[in-house]
Amino acid sequence: MAAIEPMHQFMIQKIVDLPPVMVPGLGAIDLSITNSVFTMMMAATIITVFFLFSSRGAVVPGRMQALAETVYDLVDKGLTGSMIGDRGRPFLPFIFTLFSFVAVLDLIGMFPEQFAVTAQLAVTATLALLTFFIVLVVGFAKNGLGFFKLFVPSGVAWPMLFILVPIEFISFLVRPVTLAMRLFGNIIGGHVVMYMFGSFVVGLGGFAIANGGLAYLGLVGSALSLSMVIALMALEFIVAFLQAFVFAALTCTYLSDVVNLDHGH
Amino acid sequence: MAEPVTEAAHAAAGAAAEHGSGGLPQFDLAQWPGQMVWMLIIFGILYFLFSKVFVPKLGNTISAREDRISGDIAAARKMKEESEAQAAAVAQEVAQARAQAQKLAGDAKAKAKAESAVRQAEEEAKLAKSLAAAEVRIFEARDKALSQVSGIASDTAEAIVAKLTGKAATAAELKAAVTA
Repeated sequence: MAAIEPMHQFMIQKIVDLPPVMVPGLGAIDLSITNSVFTMMMAATIITVFFLFSSRGAVVPGRMQALAETVYDLVDKGLTGSMIGDRGRPFLPFIFTLFSFVAVLDLIGMFPEQFAVTAQLAVTATLALLTFFIVLVVGFAKNGLGFFKLFVPSGVAWPMLFILVPIEFISFLVRPVTLAMRLFGNIIGGHVVMYMFGSFVVGLGGFAIANGGLAYLGLVGSALSLSMVIALMALEFIVAFLQAFVFAALTCTYLSDVVNLDHGH
Repeated sequence: MAEPVTEAAHAAAGAAAEHGSGGLPQFDLAQWPGQMVWMLIIFGILYFLFSKVFVPKLGNTISAREDRISGDIAAARKMKEESEAQAAAVAQEVAQARAQAQKLAGDAKAKAKAESAVRQAEEEAKLAKSLAAAEVRIFEARDKALSQVSGIASDTAEAIVAKLTGKAATAAELKAAVTA
């Protein structure tokens, strides 16, 4: 019987070995194509092909174009429009890229033998830090030093500010951590639980068939585990989409904080 | 629980990075730089495509469709208004024509009436004239006849007197007898 190794699916494996690149100040960086990198390339290719073929600009849209336009509407009106407002327009491509990239990576991870890139903390942390720095840059570019008003809640008695300003500041700094951890935790958790129930299906079934007699009760457990796997699959597909949406939505909220700082929020 | 696997992976990768507490492969920091760099490259390419191609194209398509639909509706509304205006103009023209026709008919009738009245009056006058002439003629004829009647009467009386008496009556006697 195969050992139960729920974390094995998250192992990085090299596909194409490339010599390490020397980056001044950072040292050698191994830019080999791994399963993680390969899956990211696959996601980018899927997104590119899909949007190339579905944004042909027909006045009467076909199925693919209708789907692409639905996603566009979701990101345009549902995310940037409703959360940032008119000033969110310039961020539409960024939010759109973020949402599509995370959603497609999540969904690729749902297929058997495919690598779950969004269960790699390195990737989610990079996305979260990218968002964090964009919020910082946009915040200072739009507001200058007025950016620091973000940490000063309005309409509060001034002695309270001694407590509130540090809290606001810490909560701002923690944002990339929660953003990265939320996506990472959701995807890794779902995959581990699915793996565990999947291994119960095989393990209990194999045990029952190998030992016979009373051990046939194991088939009941195996069947129950199988139904759990099916239910979890459905749930994880929802989670895959939802986490991409949540990531994009939170990015919108953070951008809205700094873009609409002078309007109050 | 997966410690041996990650350990093996570390060994295989030859990574000297310090291990995370959970022993998850994700905490193997040796695998981070490559993934981060590649992710930024891939994300950058995607961002470029989205900002330069996909978003403008989809946005233009959607706004072009909205423009076209609203334009079509406006054109249809305009055409409807035009056709309604034309229908109103036609109706007005018809009403005008009808009024004119009625006026013409009325005029013609009145004219005909007047003409016929004049003609009738003329005819009547002519008739009255000939009637009067006829009457005059009749009176003349009667008078003549009447004047002849006394002559006939005196002749008859003369003849009767001559037959009865055997002698002719004098003219004065006859006249007195006839006129009496």
